Amino acid sequence: MSLRRIRLIIWKEFLQLRRDPLLLRLILIMPIVQLIFFGYVVSADVRNLATALVDLDKSPTSRQLAASFSSSSYFTIEAYLQSETELKPLMNRGDVQVAIVIPEGTQARLESGEIAPVGIVVDGSDSRTAAVSSGYAAQTVARFNADRIVEQGLALSSPGIDARVRVLFNPSLRTVNTMIPGLIAAILMLSVMAIMSQAVVRERESGTLEQMFVTPITRGEYLIGKVTPYVLLAVLQMSLVALVGIFWFQVPFHGTFAAVAAGLGLFMLTVIGLGLLVSLAAHTRQQAQQTVLFIMLPMMLLSGFIFPIESMPAALVPVTYVMPLTWAVLLLRGVFVKGVGFSALVPELLVLAAFAILIFGAAVMATRRRLSE
Amino acid sequence: MTVPGLTGAAPDPAPAISVRGLTKRFGAFTAVNGIDFDVPRGQVFGFLGPNGSGKSTAIRMLTGSLAATSGLAYVLGEDVLAHPARVQRRIGYMSQKFTLFRDLTVEENLRFYAGVYGLSARQYADQRAYILQMADLVGREQELTANLSVGWQRRLALGTATIHSPELLFLDEPTSGVDPVARRQFWDLLYELANRGVTLFVTTHYMEEASHCNQLAFIYRGRLVAEGSPAEIRGRASRQQILEVAVATPDAALEVIEKVPEVIDAYLSGTTVHAVFLADGGERAFAESLIAALRSQGFAEVSVVRVEPTIDDVFVSLVSSQRATSSEYRVRSTGHRAQPRRRAE
Repeated sequence: MSLRRIRLIIWKEFLQLRRDPLLLRLILIMPIVQLIFFGYVVSADVRNLATALVDLDKSPTSRQLAASFSSSSYFTIEAYLQSETELKPLMNRGDVQVAIVIPEGTQARLESGEIAPVGIVVDGSDSRTAAVSSGYAAQTVARFNADRIVEQGLALSSPGIDARVRVLFNPSLRTVNTMIPGLIAAILMLSVMAIMSQAVVRERESGTLEQMFVTPITRGEYLIGKVTPYVLLAVLQMSLVALVGIFWFQVPFHGTFAAVAAGLGLFMLTVIGLGLLVSLAAHTRQQAQQTVLFIMLPMMLLSGFIFPIESMPAALVPVTYVMPLTWAVLLLRGVFVKGVGFSALVPELLVLAAFAILIFGAAVMATRRRLSE
Repeated sequence: MTVPGLTGAAPDPAPAISVRGLTKRFGAFTAVNGIDFDVPRGQVFGFLGPNGSGKSTAIRMLTGSLAATSGLAYVLGEDVLAHPARVQRRIGYMSQKFTLFRDLTVEENLRFYAGVYGLSARQYADQRAYILQMADLVGREQELTANLSVGWQRRLALGTATIHSPELLFLDEPTSGVDPVARRQFWDLLYELANRGVTLFVTTHYMEEASHCNQLAFIYRGRLVAEGSPAEIRGRASRQQILEVAVATPDAALEVIEKVPEVIDAYLSGTTVHAVFLADGGERAFAESLIAALRSQGFAEVSVVRVEPTIDDVFVSLVSSQRATSSEYRVRSTGHRAQPRRRAE
């Protein structure tokens, strides 16, 4: 491994990039366009929200209220909790997006003709899900009140349950707050994968690869030299998005930088691996381009980056978990919006590490084999 | 371990290249099939064969960029299959494609390869001056190599391939697509290298270039079919003469020509048919009987010219004499694929 030769390849790669001003401009303008596009344009319908029930009243009324939530198609009660303190870890991990907290004495209050407040807690880290789910919760409670009045023959103005919505993590429910963390991961994938796959195929097509491999340049030196410039560019792009997001769109950053770096590092290895695999499988640049599109489109659509996973048909939900982007988006949203630390991100980090080992490892092995054919 | 095709003793490390039983398989396809040869130092060695015969595969194994399936290959006394890195610093390679970076300038390409081989600043300055002068590119250092015309690109590629003063230089069809004048200039440069003691391993399609070599080896379907000096090789084919038949439908004409009794061999060559016969002085009579045979079969426009054997003609004759007993062999297939190129008249 010679540092001098790696530096030469990096130098050459940057010279070639500089000769392609269109590509450079695209690399810098694309994230901004996407920022505006995904930040404001996209919205979606939400169903089957994972819901936690904290029933402290344990009365017929509270069970009835819970039933009216679970009978709507919007909420699926996945956890029954004994106290509100159990809720926070569930939300941190993203296991539930909504919680219904029925305080002790709800039935008693209603029977004595008082207003009975019920808490609806919403995870705001995906603002569209949050906005939609708090609306649904309010509707469900209103319907419950109306049914009760009819059933019990009460006066129309009788007090009922009052839904008090509380949004965790992103109280203002701004879409940019959730889009920008996701966008950072998506841009990393778009640019690294697209450019990586093109770059190696191009050198194979033109024969420059063949020429370099009869010199003392080793496969390892070539790979490192080739990948480094694009990693640096990707870091530049991501910083641009993060800075524009934080300073222009006022996206809050609550988490730790180390968690972001760890997650993105693993995700970067994965997408570099994907790009390399494409460039090895493809014989021409057109093939590489089509293959990248073929991989990228489902990844973007099914990762929860654009459309919330909760709004997808049940059959597609398992597919979302084999998309590396899904986990990167989850991780970044967790760090940015929720400000959770390493411990809450262990599942995401483990999955991303598994993807990195699997895909990057396969790519390196395939590269060694393929480049010596 | 037994090495298929291994003949005689262990390879001699003294020659520039020594190959025994070298074999490369890609799945079920055998690209190079147990070849043996030696290239003494300081020679110009011509490695000839049609496209797809295994030439490039062999070169890639000898330059250490492709692993062999079996066999032995010593380059400059080192086992190139086991330790390619020991050899790569001492050899140069020039492909038939232009494989320098087209979006870098002349100077940047030179600097890149000088750096790859670890030249000192002083060595680089010397080599740069020499290459620019040799390639006639003084004053054009800042031009992108994509904008150079083919002759200049070839010379720059040669200069770059020799920037580290290699002892052995591989040239894969270095003059393909170059006009005859530029080709001659290019060979002058090669001779200059040979005179400095550099061993040259050249593949070519041009007979006139093959005759510049000290030694020739012909490869066909992965096997060596002939070896010898140009004079020896030509001697084997010299008993034969070739008539080139131009006709509107060469495929149909070929079937008629094959049935003419004097014809030893006939095959498609580009858009014409080459008919081979023994050189016994009856050239005119033979041509007339050919034309008569074709006319009688309804071929109206027929022209017949005697041509000098091209590399492909020599090659076809070598292969067909080797395969004379084998009925599966059809010369037509090679004649079709390898388009012979002739010197500009």
